[in-house]
Amino acid sequence: MRPAYGGDGGAVERTDYRAVPVPAPSASDPAAAYPLRVLLIEDDAGDAFLVEELLADSPDPMEIVWARSMAEAMVKLGEDIGCVLLDLGLPDAEGLNGLHRLLLFAPRTAVIVLTGLSDAHRGSAAVAAGAQDYLVKQEIDGSLLSRAIRYALERKRADESQRRLVESELRAQENARLERGLLPAPILRDPSLDFRARYRPGRQRALLGGDLYDAVQTADGRVHVMIGDVCGHGPDEAALGVNLRIAWRSLIFAGLTGGELLTTLERIFEHERRSDEMFATLCMTIIEPDRRRGRVYLAGHPAPLLLTPKGIAPLSESATGPALGLFPDGRWSHESMELGTDWSLLLYTDGLIEGRIGPGPERLGTDGLLPLIGRLLAAGHSGYDLIDSAVAAVEDLHGGSLNDDVAVLLLRHDPERPLYGVQGEHPVLPGQTTGEDDTA
Amino acid sequence: MDLSLSTRTEGGRTIVEVGGEIDVYTAPKLREQLVELVNEGQFHLIVDMEAVDFLDSTGLGVLVGGLKRVRAHEGSLQLVCTQERILKIFRITGLTKVFPIHPSVAVAIASSD
Repeated sequence: MRPAYGGDGGAVERTDYRAVPVPAPSASDPAAAYPLRVLLIEDDAGDAFLVEELLADSPDPMEIVWARSMAEAMVKLGEDIGCVLLDLGLPDAEGLNGLHRLLLFAPRTAVIVLTGLSDAHRGSAAVAAGAQDYLVKQEIDGSLLSRAIRYALERKRADESQRRLVESELRAQENARLERGLLPAPILRDPSLDFRARYRPGRQRALLGGDLYDAVQTADGRVHVMIGDVCGHGPDEAALGVNLRIAWRSLIFAGLTGGELLTTLERIFEHERRSDEMFATLCMTIIEPDRRRGRVYLAGHPAPLLLTPKGIAPLSESATGPALGLFPDGRWSHESMELGTDWSLLLYTDGLIEGRIGPGPERLGTDGLLPLIGRLLAAGHSGYDLIDSAVAAVEDLHGGSLNDDVAVLLLRHDPERPLYGVQGEHPVLPGQTTGEDDTA
Repeated sequence: MDLSLSTRTEGGRTIVEVGGEIDVYTAPKLREQLVELVNEGQFHLIVDMEAVDFLDSTGLGVLVGGLKRVRAHEGSLQLVCTQERILKIFRITGLTKVFPIHPSVAVAIASSD
């Protein structure tokens, strides 16, 4: 037994959705067809022998798998393990750290903690940290132990169904809010432009992110497309993302554009954020009414990809200004875009390029995204199919759902479709001004 | 993957050596470390990122937060990084203009005298 334990300073909540189902031998049918497999993690051979002896007399058939250390337990912990008996004084896991690691690795498995008389107080701390029960070794007898195991299994099942219920309700509510707030209906009236957008929340509900986007065609015929990402994850970030999108749209309606718009947007952001550590990256592209030229502003955001019959290229190699909220008085310049007639712009948030591409630390990055999109285009993907296939390909490389949320926009100009009409043929939105410096 | 942190003093600067992945899960540890140093009165920090494998926007936020904290005490926060994939993240976000980034700890110490 270790005299002291390390506390939970290093524990990070990381619920894994990889299901490790709890085998379900019915409590009302103790003579279940298969023996319940119990993993005993105990470094003391004497104590391990004792537990095995106690369970040998159990009315329920149980099979004991013994691991002497946490490392060994991780190897032996398969889907067939129904319950874990965990000693808190392991050589490679001090105190509750072992429990945290276990719950991280096998969040669906029932855990009973074993303590000695001297550290019985740790038992209740372990239950608070997620164990189903604790037993003091010196007080265990056979029937108490097998009853405790059955009880732990039942309780874990009840906890699980309760958790799933609450989680699915929360997720439904959150998704509804997100879709209303973060994900707008674009205001585009040009039939030659085709706008597609996809938003995917991160794998874990806790990682609700602050991705945002919008597209607005102004009365002067210009099209403003924006995508952004409030750094960090959580309800605060998501709410701030909504604020930022509404603010952006309002400023567009009020006739602002370019660097002036970003300066004002940053001031709003600074007032609305909860902590001054928060910042947001944002990309804004402005397409001129002729749909052949435009400008891109990159406030710390990855550059959109320009897809043309000639190939794929990022619109810029580096930022044209800092992310919003980094430092007061940020200034943003732009890069000019020569689009041609047959083009698409792919805008995305960094969730798309932060996925892993193998077992090592390497990530996809912008360098990996380019050929990936190229292959999909060559294979004939377009529209939503292109976006979805890209996200699926990135997830494939990552080996599962992405951690971060992802937004991807695809704006295509189809030269076969009629160009946007001359000024005056479209309704002017209230509060909109017509182009102030559009002389083309 | 996890984050490793160690601190030492050299040439009147506090060096924070970071290794592993700085992401949404591990960034709080780095934040705690930076806050602790500032609370102890160490306002001239050098964050050595040579052993960092991955850095996401939450991690960038923590570095920015650290910079703001030391600046409030007339301090400095410099970075050591030569890894192209990490440097690229700083370039994309426009942070190369905000953080002095050096090729080695020795250069960082020399440049901050």
